[in-house]
Amino acid sequence: MSAGRSMRKRRKENGIALLISIFVLLLISVVAIALVVSSGTETAIAGNYRSATGVYYAALSGLEEARGRLLSKNPNSFLKTAPANFLPPPGTRWDIGYVRYVLNPGPADLADTRTTYPDVEYDNEFGPGKLGAANVVTTPSVWNVAPLNALPVPGPLYKWVRINAVSEVSLQRQVAPFDGHTPDPAKPIYYDGIRLTIDPTGAQEVLEITSLAVLPNGSQNSSQKLVQYLVAPVPITLPPFQAALTLSGSQNGTDPFFQAPTTNAVYAVKGDGDQDCNGNPLPSKVAVGLYGPYQGVGNLNNALNAIKGGIPSFPPPSTAAKSNYTGQGAWPDVEQLTAPFQTPSQLDSFVQTIVQNADVILPSGSTGSALTPLGMSPTNPLTVVVNGNLDISNWSSDGYGLLLVTGTFTYDPDTNWYGIVLVIGQGVVNNSQNGQNKQINGAMFVAKTRDASGNLLPDLGGASVSFLPAMQGNGMRYNSCWIQKAQPTSSYQILSFHEISQ
Amino acid sequence: MTRAISTIRQEGFTLIELLVALGIFLVITGAAFTLLGSSQQHYQVETQVLSSFQEARLGMDQIVRDVNDAGYPPPSFAGTDPTLFASTPFAWSPGYLTNSSCNIVASSGKPVCTTPGNFDLIIETNPNPQDPACALTPCPVQWIRYQLQVPPQVQVPTLMRGMVPKTPGPGDPDAATTAASVLVPFVQNVVNSPAQPIFSYTCDTTSAPQSPPLPCPNAAAADNSPANIRDVIVNLIVAAPLPDPKTGQPRLVQLTGRGRRINPSQ
Repeated sequence: MSAGRSMRKRRKENGIALLISIFVLLLISVVAIALVVSSGTETAIAGNYRSATGVYYAALSGLEEARGRLLSKNPNSFLKTAPANFLPPPGTRWDIGYVRYVLNPGPADLADTRTTYPDVEYDNEFGPGKLGAANVVTTPSVWNVAPLNALPVPGPLYKWVRINAVSEVSLQRQVAPFDGHTPDPAKPIYYDGIRLTIDPTGAQEVLEITSLAVLPNGSQNSSQKLVQYLVAPVPITLPPFQAALTLSGSQNGTDPFFQAPTTNAVYAVKGDGDQDCNGNPLPSKVAVGLYGPYQGVGNLNNALNAIKGGIPSFPPPSTAAKSNYTGQGAWPDVEQLTAPFQTPSQLDSFVQTIVQNADVILPSGSTGSALTPLGMSPTNPLTVVVNGNLDISNWSSDGYGLLLVTGTFTYDPDTNWYGIVLVIGQGVVNNSQNGQNKQINGAMFVAKTRDASGNLLPDLGGASVSFLPAMQGNGMRYNSCWIQKAQPTSSYQILSFHEISQ
Repeated sequence: MTRAISTIRQEGFTLIELLVALGIFLVITGAAFTLLGSSQQHYQVETQVLSSFQEARLGMDQIVRDVNDAGYPPPSFAGTDPTLFASTPFAWSPGYLTNSSCNIVASSGKPVCTTPGNFDLIIETNPNPQDPACALTPCPVQWIRYQLQVPPQVQVPTLMRGMVPKTPGPGDPDAATTAASVLVPFVQNVVNSPAQPIFSYTCDTTSAPQSPPLPCPNAAAADNSPANIRDVIVNLIVAAPLPDPKTGQPRLVQLTGRGRRINPSQ
């Protein structure tokens, strides 16, 4: 009986205990939920900011990849890794309507990221339907090809990068010259070093790079960003090419020396017949130019006459060979150039800049066999530097681009060179093999800036170009198109940056 | 049986039992309500801290975005209309009108800038060139100013933000952005002390452009000017409106961000 009573009692008290426990539990739960909610919000705020920052840098990395790969000396240059029609041929411009994409699909994306993340910005800028009508070529990003695609970490999370030229219409602003011209949607914009212009003379074409990045939690606005660069190539400052063959010399230094082959009637140095890459004729340049300061007219004439003296009367006593030296003046066209002259140390700084931006640097004593494996071609002009002497005797391939020799350049007309040949340093050009009838198309600049021990001279020395009497070859032809194609680019300069509101 | 029934009838609480039970109940509920009260207070403070945090985050995001875009479009876009390009990423005072620069940190030669400064920054940019709301196409460049104002100018220390279109002809960004009702409260309760600048800067060095930018106080006098600003390091310290209920100390949120000007300045 006693057991029954206590059981009943306990049952009633159980009820109260249950109520109290539920009540207390409720209170604790409310507090706990409040804490969880508040810390959750805090995490979300911090997370949103982090993803907005992350996606900004992801988009920027896309811009930087494209900017870097535009440079031919980049190991992953579009020139080497993209389809052959990705870049316009060297020396030609990007037309409006050439649209190039670098695609960077993540593991869960379609190979063509533009399907999921369409590019609506292009039509915003160029007009409705323009992207559909554009000439589009794509290439994978460096993160999607070997060796980086094998990395266990994902690359930057940008989806695509677009590269294209811009016009006054797409930029929605007028650029120089401010003459009230009507904006032409088909005319690309150029950068002349100071401002944007539609005049291509002495200016570089402006390219637009646009990058879209989306973080995995793509539903929120903050995790998608579209950023844009305008870039323009920075050409390396080169000595002026006002003549097909430029020889250094100065009054305070020494006079130049020139000796053409004396028994070759077809050897010619021509400053006329110049044309641009579209075949349009350009004004004539000088055939043989003297580069350097002279004070007295007499001293200058002596130097010019010494050069003319190296041009043979062949066959004697005919002066026919002299008429091969045509240019802007009367033949034989040998003139002092009007360029602002550089001192040996200034010319040497050109050399240093070219060395820093060279595609290939060869040691002294190199021969033509070192040039063969470089794979130079009309679409792949290279900047080749030889730190010392170069002997291309019996090398029968053609060269394309810029060749810089700091020692003696032993030439052989077995080869055509398309572009620029600089012999700055010792400033000596000669030959040992007589070769075939080939020629240099572009310009050759020979300057003596250093003495035999390699010390910089205080004043420009006399360049020496001396060929054997029986050397064959057609000589040199000034060609602006090849000079332009051979012009090395040090980088693509950022002209502007902005984030496009989404 | 009889005994069992009488036992049932006698079942009930004695006064003592009742008082003890009541006492225990009061103690427990009292404790629970105290807990509830204090947690409610905490919750209120935390909510306020959160909203300050949120406000500061949004502010930071906007400042960093404005700094990143500073100087768009650059002077190479120069057209006939000076309001369509940014003459400089960061406008300054004094001397903007006469294009005579000032020094961010006091050094000999030039006057010290009143803006940009530790608590003041004017960004010259076009935040949204394609804005359809713009009457003109493209929209004119704007002067966006961030300035810390303290009582009695405002009730609580507040980071103000204001945006005005760049004025053509002789227009002074300092005067234009201090005009009435341009600056509006942006982040409230910003409690940076004078030793804790909201904005600190790194400057490009003209002598060696390839080297990373230096903190402006370490840069040479010639480089220590608004045109050379590369990074703006933003340090926001925001207090929640209510202090911590236990310690009575203000609840602070400190955020640091960095914006980098990419557009060229010349």
